[in-house]
Amino acid sequence: MSNGLAEATALLALEGMLLDEQDWDAWLALYEEDAEFWMPAWKSESQTTGDPQRELSLIYYAGRAGLEDRVQRIRSGKSVASTPLRRTAHMVGNVMPAGEEGGVLSVKSSFNVHVYDTRTKTQHVFFGRTTHGLVRRDGALRIRRKKVVLANDCIPTMLDIYCV
Amino acid sequence: MQPTMNDRANIPAPAVDLDRLIDDRAAEGWFSVHRDAFRDPAVFELEMKHIFEATWNFVGLESQVPNPNDFLTTTIGRSPVVVMRDAEGKLGCFLNSCRHKGAVIFHTGEGNGAHHSCPYHGWTYDTGGRCVAVTSQRQARYPEAFGATAHDLAPVARFDSYRGLLFASLSPDVPPLAEYLSDARRGIDIVVDQGPDGIELVPGAVSFTYNANWKFQLENSSDTYHFIPTHTSYIGVLEKRRSQRAAAAPAGSIYEDIGAQAASRRGSFTFPNGHVLMWGDNPNMQARPLYASLPQVEARVGKVMAKWMMYVRNLTLFPNVQIAENASMQLRIIRPLAVDRTEMLTYCVAPKGEAAESRIKRLRQYEDFFNPTGFATPDDTSAYEACQRGDDARTLDWQQGYVRGMGAVRAGGNPEAEELGISPETSSVGGYLMGDETIFHGNYRAWLGLLKRGAAKDAGAA
Repeated sequence: MSNGLAEATALLALEGMLLDEQDWDAWLALYEEDAEFWMPAWKSESQTTGDPQRELSLIYYAGRAGLEDRVQRIRSGKSVASTPLRRTAHMVGNVMPAGEEGGVLSVKSSFNVHVYDTRTKTQHVFFGRTTHGLVRRDGALRIRRKKVVLANDCIPTMLDIYCV
Repeated sequence: MQPTMNDRANIPAPAVDLDRLIDDRAAEGWFSVHRDAFRDPAVFELEMKHIFEATWNFVGLESQVPNPNDFLTTTIGRSPVVVMRDAEGKLGCFLNSCRHKGAVIFHTGEGNGAHHSCPYHGWTYDTGGRCVAVTSQRQARYPEAFGATAHDLAPVARFDSYRGLLFASLSPDVPPLAEYLSDARRGIDIVVDQGPDGIELVPGAVSFTYNANWKFQLENSSDTYHFIPTHTSYIGVLEKRRSQRAAAAPAGSIYEDIGAQAASRRGSFTFPNGHVLMWGDNPNMQARPLYASLPQVEARVGKVMAKWMMYVRNLTLFPNVQIAENASMQLRIIRPLAVDRTEMLTYCVAPKGEAAESRIKRLRQYEDFFNPTGFATPDDTSAYEACQRGDDARTLDWQQGYVRGMGAVRAGGNPEAEELGISPETSSVGGYLMGDETIFHGNYRAWLGLLKRGAAKDAGAA
């Protein structure tokens, strides 16, 4: 487990770095094809939505294809919100194990993502906590599930997949 | 002279030449809005005072406060308000502000409780708004005048509902709600009647801000013209999905086949008091969550209403709420914060008791299209921000965005209005690519009318 945690910590750092470097293909390659990506909405001051099939999410994709769609839009040059892209810096910390079940290693962490809009020279920090479900494939850990609980959910204009 | 409680109403308004803001010569074939309407802080102050704080505003749904002692909080213009049911279940709407020193009493978006104490000095109110305790009143040695002063939460001047939608006005000088909404009410009917037991907000509220004027959002909801240029990347994602799924699989979004959309009809209705309804054919109606139960819906509400439920329809109830049904169904509340800053509170709307499969369809299309974390809304708000920055070109005065479709607009109704049984002020039908902009005239005529009414009142008070 301790080795697994060190490996998971490195994977989470790598994920943040690849997003900051806008290396989209390498980032997508971290995800299993059936990876679930879920960022619930909030239904009160203290509770997020709990069932993405009955309640609203900020983002919900049942597979990596949803993330690939996001990358397509980012690369299209035809999204005014994404052209030019914002610059980001991910800080991922407090990585800790959260159990292992059916070959999936759960890892919790906290994040700050600093986002800078070159158009207005303004910046914002998105922060919250993340649970990754990781599996081992071909000797390396890959992402099977990612749940992002965004603490500051009044979104300034936009939040794209690379901002958390 | 000592200032009194009502002095704020008597502060002279900033000098704004209102007639300079709108160039309404529709009969001659021209209409324009001056850029100062979007960039002048003095205009914004007048909008707060003479529009938002002087007419009916949407404040919530009855279904958000179903039980005795339930409450929800919102704002009317700059004013924090609370909508609540008292212990007997009667609805009321009050300024959310302690009568002692002004502190907000209700600190959450929604909640329940029989009594609510101010967190500062402890004055306590019941859910009828009555002040039931002034902390240590017996020991206070208050002067007599204190006992003669009302301490209850201040009710709004007018509070009423239509089909479960709650509206309030801080000014008593408004027409009755039904008259205010006029035939825009039919746009509400088409939403509310989608479920046999009405509609509900899907759990999970989403809020966002953008750094631009609130009227960019007001307009965008009725703006067919922007869709293809602004949402090219969203359309591209839908095209890819369509190419990857089995040919027989149902469309994932009404916008999947944008060619079919572009070949369809779009229409506009404007109503008195600034309300408008943009509508359009929906060539991909099988993508709609309601489609699965269409025969039952037709049996319940009739073929005409069912057809209108399947249409694209974006309804604006001036000044602060829009119900858009296109990719999915959204209720959005516009909260202007400054001349160049706006907050939006948004909800997914669904028929009560919707089937599981339909709900999933509704959610996924909603998240894709409407969320500030999705594929479409960020491009809208980024475009508003581009407009706000560009409108700072101070040597430019007039916009050119209010004359498309002028050849198609007519006074009064049309066959579509007739089948809905409504009498709009203007109506228009054209091809999708006409991109009608005359629908905004309805918004701005009411906007200017309220500003002028307020200016006349101020002049009378001075």
